[in-house]
Amino acid sequence: MGITRYIVRRLMFSVALVLGVSVIIFTLINAIGNPVEILLADRPGITQEAIDAISRYYNLDQPPLIRYFVWLWNVVRGDFGTSIVYNQPVGDMLFTWGLETMKIQIPAILISLVAAIFIAVTAATRQYSRVDFGVMSGALLGQSLPGFFVGIILILVFSYWLGIFPSYGAYSTRRMLMGSGLIDGLWHMVLPVAMLAFFNTATLTLLMRSNMVDVLRHDFIMAARASGLPERRVVYRHAVRNAFIPVLTYLGILFGLMLGTAPVTETVFTWPGLGFLYIQAIQQLDYPVIMGETMIITVMLVTATLLTDIAYVLIDPRIRLE
Amino acid sequence: MTEPGAARPLLDVRDLRVHFFTGAGIVRAVDGVDFAVQPQETLGLVGESGSGKTVTSLTLLRLSPRPARVVGGRIDFEGEDILTKSEKAMTGVRGKRMAMVFQNPAYSLNPIYSIGDQLGEIVRWHEKVGRREGDARVTELLRLVGITDPGARLRQFPHELSGGMKQRVCIARALLCNPALVLADEPTTNLDVTIQAQILDLLLELKDRFRTSMVLVTHDMGVVARMADRITVMYAGRICETADARTIFRSPQHPYTRALLESMPRVDHSYARDDARRLPVIAGRPPNLIEPPTGCRFHPRCPEAGEECRRIMPEPKAIGPGHTVSCLKRGSSGVAA
Amino acid sequence: MTEAPAAAALATAPPARPPGMWRQGWQRFRRNRTGMLGLTLVCIVVLVALSCAWIAPYEPNDQSAMMRFGSREGPTWAHLFGTDRMGYDVLTRVLYGAPTALAVGIGAMLVASVIGILIGGISGYLGGMADELLMRFTEFFLVIPVFIVILAVVRLFGIVVVGSPLESIPYLNLMTIILLLGLFGWPSIARMTRAEFLRLKEMEFVEAARCIGATRRDIILRHILPNALPSLVVIVALGIGGAILAEAMISFLGFGDPKAISWGQLLFFNYEALKVAPWASIAPGSAIFMTVLGFNLLADGLSDAFNPRLKQ
Repeated sequence: MGITRYIVRRLMFSVALVLGVSVIIFTLINAIGNPVEILLADRPGITQEAIDAISRYYNLDQPPLIRYFVWLWNVVRGDFGTSIVYNQPVGDMLFTWGLETMKIQIPAILISLVAAIFIAVTAATRQYSRVDFGVMSGALLGQSLPGFFVGIILILVFSYWLGIFPSYGAYSTRRMLMGSGLIDGLWHMVLPVAMLAFFNTATLTLLMRSNMVDVLRHDFIMAARASGLPERRVVYRHAVRNAFIPVLTYLGILFGLMLGTAPVTETVFTWPGLGFLYIQAIQQLDYPVIMGETMIITVMLVTATLLTDIAYVLIDPRIRLE
Repeated sequence: MTEPGAARPLLDVRDLRVHFFTGAGIVRAVDGVDFAVQPQETLGLVGESGSGKTVTSLTLLRLSPRPARVVGGRIDFEGEDILTKSEKAMTGVRGKRMAMVFQNPAYSLNPIYSIGDQLGEIVRWHEKVGRREGDARVTELLRLVGITDPGARLRQFPHELSGGMKQRVCIARALLCNPALVLADEPTTNLDVTIQAQILDLLLELKDRFRTSMVLVTHDMGVVARMADRITVMYAGRICETADARTIFRSPQHPYTRALLESMPRVDHSYARDDARRLPVIAGRPPNLIEPPTGCRFHPRCPEAGEECRRIMPEPKAIGPGHTVSCLKRGSSGVAA
Repeated sequence: MTEAPAAAALATAPPARPPGMWRQGWQRFRRNRTGMLGLTLVCIVVLVALSCAWIAPYEPNDQSAMMRFGSREGPTWAHLFGTDRMGYDVLTRVLYGAPTALAVGIGAMLVASVIGILIGGISGYLGGMADELLMRFTEFFLVIPVFIVILAVVRLFGIVVVGSPLESIPYLNLMTIILLLGLFGWPSIARMTRAEFLRLKEMEFVEAARCIGATRRDIILRHILPNALPSLVVIVALGIGGAILAEAMISFLGFGDPKAISWGQLLFFNYEALKVAPWASIAPGSAIFMTVLGFNLLADGLSDAFNPRLKQ
């Protein structure tokens, strides 16, 4: 009945989900045959013995089922294997590249959340006014603008034409220009974060506005006003929190969407994050990285969903867990 | 309407007009309404749905919903005109001097805050007290409205209470700051019949204990018979008749008041489907307020209507002590409109 | 409602809403300005897709500009949107991208609808254990990082088919993408179908049909499904826009079909020349935007038209 049991149930589903994804990806990778062979097939000077030796090194001579369980057992112990291309432990790579991804995604979602609440409240409290109409049209347009196209426009305007922000990478090679590494890092973050925040803000604003309009019609809002609470307090304490509850669920979905399309974002800005790493890995058939990364992203998604579910229960007293 | 020599009324509404400016046209929801409430008096504001009672009561708090605008009249409350106060001054009136109990208790409490949380907020805001004092006041009020174990209820959420309980909480909320006037908008309409009586008794008891006045808005003649000192009958945004409760029930003058009383089922009658012993109904439908009937608003449904009722809008006329009626057939004068 | 003739009349008459439902929906839709704008945009895309071979000023594979003025030429009268780094006329390539986009959107949603309606319908109509199982299965597909999995599958599948008879299928890579977008795009349709089936199977006209002995097949195909369609049309319209966007992203990353002309692919080819030939990226980007916007607005207008109670 309690929240603990609910969490345990969700966790069990999550584990099944993560395993399911790993089986799908593993099966696919094995369907193509020996990746080392494919990768090295046309290289001059590589003998069949060398390929066999490398394959043996990566356990590729074992039957797939055995290899899957060996891989799984290693993952459980925290070992994701070694990247074929980079020759580094996949676990370490996922961590460092993952940090870069979070560096743009977490600020983007926080900024868009604050912006969306503010814009939506402004629009909803002036329903059918010109401001409201403007916000609605802007958000509808913004929601349909493909994120990567927004990124391209941002680069064109702010990087190529105005020359304000860098167009690629997370750090400059000529760091002395920017004074300190921190400012340099932040400077590089501006455009990618703006691109992600743009889409999120549009989506969240639309959702939040329609919820606000709905909540503001309720009697308890009128009752709060009739009790003499000032309008600001009625709106922000009584309406926003109620209108926010459905948005919360959506935050998990949005985070998933952002993480899932990280390859696109990071390709546009040549950002050294998980998405960029993933594109390289599938191009070069770096299968330990592909496996590790799909796992990590699924785990992150599942965690985000779980966290929003728990937050939902905490914020809305009406929810009873089945 | 104040009698010479009577105490100055607590609330005095004069020629109030509230119109809704909609795409389809101007809805004259309240169109020239006068009434007064004396200290510690209960005024029953009666009319069928759509007659403008709810809009009137929200306008008293200056909370009439969006497309509605007050286009004329005065509302004097405790000697000051509500309609000219600043928004900031109004927050000192609402909840503190004049409070409201809403129609549907299920929707008038915020579902995501506990009872103690949302009621305490109001006390702390108005009385500038701390959390502990605020909670003490809320607990006291919850006890007074008949909620058992009020201390524990503070932590409960609206969905954990029954409908009757919720309405008791709403009544407690209205009385938190000891207001001079409570507006009760159909406070029992959405409750079970057995609970209705309890809530009405509770309102009467608390009104005496707190020495407040009350405006009881309802469509139910039975409710006002039990509660009201004086009764004002509204129809299509205008007042038909005002008198003390006894007079309204003993000798109603306005044809609409009479029709309302006749359509009230009585326990000492038996009704049947045949015409002779059937419960009387008021023929016709409530009027369209975008283009209200000319002259007397009630004339299309009035059994006594004459030719002049179609042209002339009747003005209130005093026909007895504290008894006014707006009907040309009862001697009202009027203006052609 | 319990009187037999009324029930029989209700059950034998065309079920509750259609055809009045569609006509009423259209009446409301026509007055919806955003919806009409969406419909206009979608119509433009469809018209372009049907007529691109006649209205395009050049052949899609014409690189002769390479020889005359060189590539990456800015907009001129001869090349309204300029030429790209390969010497192609940008306008022509963008126009030829329309049929690909529509094929992706409609194809993917056809696959998704068949799976989604089947699973959602069974789940909603049968309920109980089957419902529980199918919904868990749906949730699984809803939570996995679809885009990333699709990228991997497209790439790996591309290797698997080398040398197999499948290779002879024209536009195999594009077909794979369409199929994958459909295979991963059905969960929202399944959820909507299930919700509609759950709602409708309790409705009185369905009860009535059951009372006069309509077969299960009849109840589902003639009474429940037609009434669930308006909601499904909305979600499919949204899905078409989504699928077009997804294909654009896949192609932008370089995993598209090299033989097909698609907007994402144009961006992929021209993105590295963004600084010198921005028009070659802006034109296909705007085409994606207009198309996705068209389908989103259309869905918005449809949902207002079919669910008027939700609005105001």
